Amino acid sequence: MRLASSAVAIILLLLGSASLAVAQTDCTKVVPASPWGPNDQTGATNRVTPAVTKAAAAEIKDGNVIPMSYPLVDGIPLFGSRFTKSILTTTSLAPGAALGENQLTYMEDTWLSQSHVGTHLDGLGHIGRKDCYFNQIAMGKFINQNYMTKLGLEHLKTFATRGVLVDMVKVYQAAGKFTGNPACKKPCLDKGTVITAADIQAGLRMYNTTLREGDILIIHTGWGNLFEQFPAQNATFNSGEPGIGKDAAKWLVSQKIVAVGGDTWGVEVIPGEDPKEAFIVHNILITDNGIHIIENVRTDLMAAEAASTGRSTFFFSMTVPKAVGLTGNFVGIEGIR
Amino acid sequence: MKETSATPAPRVGCRRIARALRGLALLLILVLVHATAAQERRWVVAFANLTEEPGVTLEGTGFTGREVREGFALAARQWPIDLVVYDNRRDSRQALANVADAIGRKVDLFIHYHADAVTNAAVGPRLRAAGIPVLAINYPVPDAPLYTVDNLAAGRIAGEALAEFGARAWRGHTVVAVLIGHLSAVEDRVPERAKSVTEGLRRHLPTLKIASLDTQGNPARVSGLLGRLVTAEPRTKFLIAAMDDATALAAKAALEAAGRLADGAIVGHGVDRSIHGGMSERKELDPNNRGSIVLGSVAFYLDRYGYDVLPLAVRMLRREPVPARTVTHHKLITAANVFVEYPPYDMQ
Repeated sequence: MRLASSAVAIILLLLGSASLAVAQTDCTKVVPASPWGPNDQTGATNRVTPAVTKAAAAEIKDGNVIPMSYPLVDGIPLFGSRFTKSILTTTSLAPGAALGENQLTYMEDTWLSQSHVGTHLDGLGHIGRKDCYFNQIAMGKFINQNYMTKLGLEHLKTFATRGVLVDMVKVYQAAGKFTGNPACKKPCLDKGTVITAADIQAGLRMYNTTLREGDILIIHTGWGNLFEQFPAQNATFNSGEPGIGKDAAKWLVSQKIVAVGGDTWGVEVIPGEDPKEAFIVHNILITDNGIHIIENVRTDLMAAEAASTGRSTFFFSMTVPKAVGLTGNFVGIEGIR
Repeated sequence: MKETSATPAPRVGCRRIARALRGLALLLILVLVHATAAQERRWVVAFANLTEEPGVTLEGTGFTGREVREGFALAARQWPIDLVVYDNRRDSRQALANVADAIGRKVDLFIHYHADAVTNAAVGPRLRAAGIPVLAINYPVPDAPLYTVDNLAAGRIAGEALAEFGARAWRGHTVVAVLIGHLSAVEDRVPERAKSVTEGLRRHLPTLKIASLDTQGNPARVSGLLGRLVTAEPRTKFLIAAMDDATALAAKAALEAAGRLADGAIVGHGVDRSIHGGMSERKELDPNNRGSIVLGSVAFYLDRYGYDVLPLAVRMLRREPVPARTVTHHKLITAANVFVEYPPYDMQ
């Protein structure tokens, strides 16, 4: 009897685990394999080799550092229900709380925030298709309440590579197809403008450059001017954006870049080309190819620098914290010339 | 002799083959040139909207003319089309003036959205005389292809969804169906929609009692009309077919006010933004709100007309055949599929 009940229990257990297995998506049919092997969790930063970094260093001609991040502060536009809030701890400033004869005082912060706020990097665990993420990882097995146990930021290599800026405002103006948005105080492409591969190629030609493996492409649309006006134009900034379409995303994949960034909150065109697709460019770049997206990049200063010097390339300086299991994080970026 | 006579023959053959090859190459070049020209060709397409008056809704749904126009602008991005937009303002003189302007501009195709049959009868010949093909939206233009809502299909979908729910969840209960909304709006063909809802309901529940409550287009009247009905029948379950989304939401509020949420199931028509929404909006149709008594709403997609109509226009411009009548593919949108059908994309 005991044997029979054990057998029934085992059969039920097997059936249960079988149904669980069936419920999980076969990620080999949903997401392509990484070109860097079945254990790869690094993605496109694999392309930043010492040779790539050394070649990028040649972009530093006079040491000019161009800021490429927006301030992270209350009131900036945030996606959906995201928030960022800091709390300053000043205990040692209280009378008698200073330390030692030298009266040392200190302050520190508690930062309550989503990671995808302000100028930020989308990591490889940020975007999937069903439960399948970069390199066919069935993410359902690799998450707990606090973080991911695969594809976290700690697996990324350096972003010390060459940055290339394309000025889409100039491209559209030169092509006679610029429309703009009246809310922008400087020229900007309007939301819904689909940036194509041909547009990016025109932007590269404008500064007589081409993309090479390991580059980071930065797209100036002018839309970031609405971010700069925060909070006055947050609603307009959030309502959509100009950005790359599927055709451009696929071309960028073929160029073997590391990341694509822009002065918009999603880098891709919103509303998208097909109303039934959600953030499809994110899928193409991150999920399928391990190429990062960097959002809310401040591009106007570098665009002005490129216009005044006729050179759109720079050393891309961005450090990403080794935050274990995070899907992304706010970053500081500088373009060094 | 045999050899000498045999020698010229291949030369003639070679010349023929060479000529044929040259001809073929020329043909290929012509085809390529034509294909390239066709690929690069951009068309000027005029779209004369029914009305863009703020707050005015179209086709007995919650969609406005602005949403229709914006949908055309978004859809046009995928085609080699330069869109010229007119506002007919529901005014026949304005509609005819718009046609005259489009003829003056020598547009390649005219998309006409206007409700007046007499005007529409005049519009077709004028445009055709100018060599401009016409495509009509929702109201026929004689001899022009028509793209139109299918109120019969939409109503049937709503009726069947309600009846299936009633048959499944309320077996053994007294069940009454309620048709509520601007039931007398003949111009928006709402009576057609309501009749079809009735057919859908009766398909699964043939003996169902059906009440009709006409709000005259004012959702504020829903509370009074529906409140009185449910109060009079304290033990009855109600399958409520709302003719638009604002009415569906008002019906839910009325049941809530009467303490009868558990006794109602509602299906709306339209799927405008009032019932689904952006990323951080809490909306009735939402995967996190699967327990709502609003079972769903039948999509009318006025905000996506451009995505259906412009491909037809391009086929006409390419002189390919198009059906005389193309209808909207209506679908029941629920909490289970709303994010597939309307993925929230903005940050609002």
